[in-house]
Amino acid sequence: MGADPIVIIGAVVYFILIIAIGWFSRKAALNAADFYVAGRKIGPFINGSALAATYFSPATFLGMPAFIFMISYPFWWTLSGIIAGMPVATLLTAAPMRKYAPTSFTDYYADRYDTKWMRLAAALPTIIGGFAYVILSIVGTALSMVAILKVNYIFAVVLAAAVVFAYIFWGGMVATTFSTALQGVIMTVATLLAAGVIIVHYGGLNELTQAAISSNALYFNTPHAHAKTSHPLMGMWTGMVGFYFIWHYGFATMPYTVVRFFTAQDIKAARRSVTWAIIVGGAMYVGLIVIGTAAKVLIEGSHPLMGTEGIKNAVGVLAHMKKTYAIGTASVTDYSMFAIVESLKMPWLMAWIIAGGLSIAMSTAAGWTMVLNVVLGRDMIGKVFGSKWPEEKPIQVMRVMTFAVIVISALLSIDPPALVLDISGSAFLVIICATAPSMVLGIWWDKATKAASYVTIFVMTFVSGGSWLYAFYVQKSPHWFFLSDPSNKIPTPHQFYWIPVAFLLFIVVSLLTKPPREEVIKKYCLDIRPEQSK
Amino acid sequence: MFKGMPKALWIGMGLIYGWMFVFMMLEWTVPGFPLTSFLGVPACWIYNCLMGCYVINIFVAWYFAYSEEIREQKLAEKK
Repeated sequence: MGADPIVIIGAVVYFILIIAIGWFSRKAALNAADFYVAGRKIGPFINGSALAATYFSPATFLGMPAFIFMISYPFWWTLSGIIAGMPVATLLTAAPMRKYAPTSFTDYYADRYDTKWMRLAAALPTIIGGFAYVILSIVGTALSMVAILKVNYIFAVVLAAAVVFAYIFWGGMVATTFSTALQGVIMTVATLLAAGVIIVHYGGLNELTQAAISSNALYFNTPHAHAKTSHPLMGMWTGMVGFYFIWHYGFATMPYTVVRFFTAQDIKAARRSVTWAIIVGGAMYVGLIVIGTAAKVLIEGSHPLMGTEGIKNAVGVLAHMKKTYAIGTASVTDYSMFAIVESLKMPWLMAWIIAGGLSIAMSTAAGWTMVLNVVLGRDMIGKVFGSKWPEEKPIQVMRVMTFAVIVISALLSIDPPALVLDISGSAFLVIICATAPSMVLGIWWDKATKAASYVTIFVMTFVSGGSWLYAFYVQKSPHWFFLSDPSNKIPTPHQFYWIPVAFLLFIVVSLLTKPPREEVIKKYCLDIRPEQSK
Repeated sequence: MFKGMPKALWIGMGLIYGWMFVFMMLEWTVPGFPLTSFLGVPACWIYNCLMGCYVINIFVAWYFAYSEEIREQKLAEKK
């Protein structure tokens, strides 16, 4: 079965728009400041929409509906937790980081902890996690094209990588910002359109709720109030709380969102851009809750594959799609959004959904590529290892690094090693545990020390990543406590408890080690906090 | 620690975490709480999907940005 012409037109229009933004912004990125941080000229709405699109990975758009129908109602709190973590960034990191106005994510670590080697320390988990994210995002983009446009997988990987490379090559952070802002709007409109169609399809929220219950009687069961929940991970409060908090602080501290605070035109715009990011991204999440709640009943009631080839339920449809498209790296959940919209049999809606899927995947790939090319080119080659090349020809270095990042990621996307995928699953946790305490406490605590930063980065990278992988392989899921008794497992989604442990470790080591110099505290703590009345 | 942090942060975080804490506790202790009718629909669509995932977060982010703009304006006037 080929793709519907309306869907193909939707995808073509999307690609034309994104490439055009890159092409027309090429003259707006002629110096290093434009290329690195878009000249710090971006207003709150564009920056906010770009923030939202960069932050949410393709797994959100493609897979979140499946998680909602598999894990059921308690998983709604995960989506609330992700959005609820966004406002905190306004005062915690967005305003101080914009006031400090660095060029790269690692600048603050080097300045605040008074050594260039801190750049290397902060860069290590960022580079490993960043590559994993770019690879996953290219795979997500390709998966969307294979499943809906029915193109060859390798062609799809090459096309996705080429388009992202083209607009970063032409316009650096300027092109990335404007294309990502447009992608933010597209993914949100696509999600809201699908949610609206679903609500109309069922005749309202009451009817949708009843349909979800008719498909799964345990759907609205919650831990402790009911003897049994729909999914064992939600059989105990730690499952709900863990999923609420695991992605909660990422918006305030992850490198690919923090760099967007540098691009805002001033501190006021940096703060306001967080509000816009929530308006854009939060609307998408509300839509995803509606779509996920309807997913099972809609697929089982209307998907063209139901009843064929022995397929008896929604998971069977997703498993069949995974087998058909044979993208070894994808999980069954990655096909959920497409299966739901196929069930609605509306080509115009599928055209929006393919544009939304491409948007969210490519914006994350571009956001991380920008982080990686600055960290590798300007920071590592120039600031750490002392080459003059980044200083003399900054744009050339950025373009070479962009080429290297995209080519390596694209090659690895063709047949990603299993370890890359496993690392990408833990990347979010590892990067937050390793780098967030040094940033947040570096700004807000005068006693934060260099030793604490080194210890936290190295210890937490291995401890959080190691326990995640141990749970993944031994407990068969990263969401069980890694040392659980196999017969009585405790849900601790993504080993979330390491985040507060990382902060505690940082505080204890800081109290035991030599305090920083007073000039450093003044310049990189006191001066970047909000101005106080005398 | 957190010296100089605007008070607004603690107020906003109290609202976000208080909301989450109260409704999670109700869900864990009152069987069927998410399906209690409120404004003509199951309450979870209002307190979780609409308010918890959207409205409160927009309000708190706006409040953080707005309160700082007002404070900075007053500081500038004082100068």
